[in-house]
Amino acid sequence: MRKFGMKRAIVGAAIAALALNAPAAHAASATGTATAKILRQITLTNTSALQYATIISGATASTVQVTTAGVRTCNTGLTCTGTATAANFDVQGTSGAVVGISGDTTVTLNGSISGTMTSTLTYSAASLTLGATGGSFQVGGTLSVGANQPAGDYTGTFNVTADYQ
Amino acid sequence: MLRFFKGFGLLSILLLGAVTVPVQAAGDLLVAPTRVVLDGSRGTEVVLNNIGSEPATYRISLEIKRMTAVGGLDEIDEADVTPAERLALDMIAFSPRRVTLPPNQPQVIRVGVRIPEGTPPGEYRAHMLFRAVPDAAPAVAADPAKPAATGVSIALIPIYGITIPVIVRVGDLGAEATIGEAWVGDTPDGPAFNFGLTRTGNRSVYGDIEVTRPGVSEPLLVARGIAVYPEVGAREVSLRVPPELAAKLKGPVRIRYTEDREIGGGTIDEAERVVK
Repeated sequence: MRKFGMKRAIVGAAIAALALNAPAAHAASATGTATAKILRQITLTNTSALQYATIISGATASTVQVTTAGVRTCNTGLTCTGTATAANFDVQGTSGAVVGISGDTTVTLNGSISGTMTSTLTYSAASLTLGATGGSFQVGGTLSVGANQPAGDYTGTFNVTADYQ
Repeated sequence: MLRFFKGFGLLSILLLGAVTVPVQAAGDLLVAPTRVVLDGSRGTEVVLNNIGSEPATYRISLEIKRMTAVGGLDEIDEADVTPAERLALDMIAFSPRRVTLPPNQPQVIRVGVRIPEGTPPGEYRAHMLFRAVPDAAPAVAADPAKPAATGVSIALIPIYGITIPVIVRVGDLGAEATIGEAWVGDTPDGPAFNFGLTRTGNRSVYGDIEVTRPGVSEPLLVARGIAVYPEVGAREVSLRVPPELAAKLKGPVRIRYTEDREIGGGTIDEAERVVK
């Protein structure tokens, strides 16, 4: 164990200098004076937004749900138009790598004219094991629409991170 | 006819909404390497690259995360950190902390460590977060040209990023891990292969898991980058698998937990288990 610890100490300091797995499409490289080093990398790409599209509110409070598969359910009292989508994120990295997914579970949206709404958020997975072509995860949610919610464009931001252990 | 125009008005609002709200927020990113271990005073470099199609401003910060018994990483508010976690935040230095990059432009982030004299031996860890700063919110003054509508349009903008652990080891540390029971279970998202990992010692263990069937050379399952951090003595590892693989995994298997290939790939623990 002690011997191992020593070895780890030496290699640990030079960890970034080691060439390892084959580079993927977007491999990052940093150039030294004489050698090129290839680092393990991760990429995160947002390919679609979480869209509830357009909703016409009614006289009673209600909800609209978009599942992580992008299926919208428009509940009693509301009229929904447009195309709803779940947010999609692509993750690329070493094949077999386990990547954690974390993020906000609620978000507040502010109206362009007045009013606020809240949405809960659901994630398709708490962690991903990347395959040869990477992996992806989706974010859906449930939006609470008030009775006679003021019209306008509502915007909110939420945090999502892909976490390496 | 009137109804038709009303419908058309609604449609145009919808189209306007679609135009003003960017479908794809800028901020796609690449980070390499995916884990940093620092021994002593030598620093290292982490590469950040803008792989999106628009220029983006990224912020780099450190945060404390604690591992949970099921292997998740819980973010801890700066107000709630322990003295050792505070020390980790203080001893890791990095630069720059904010950078604007055109598409496909990499930036090197220098990471250094300054261990104060008298720091007790141990493993100190923070997680480095790379995240795009959202564009300044567009002025959303009420547009008088826009007809009053009964509809609301929604835009949810993700602020997304990547975290990697930055680990500082002080003193001569060691750790071992033991593989526990293994089973196939159901999660709300489908079947998963689960097993326990118990850790002893004064540092984290980190490595790759390979599950093989005795007599078959091709592994059934490979999962890389599984850690047990010092704040937990044991964790459950839950790996989602397709249903056909879940069925195959049941029965006798050999589970091997090896050190990262970067540091030699030595075996941490190996166990024969009958998967239920």
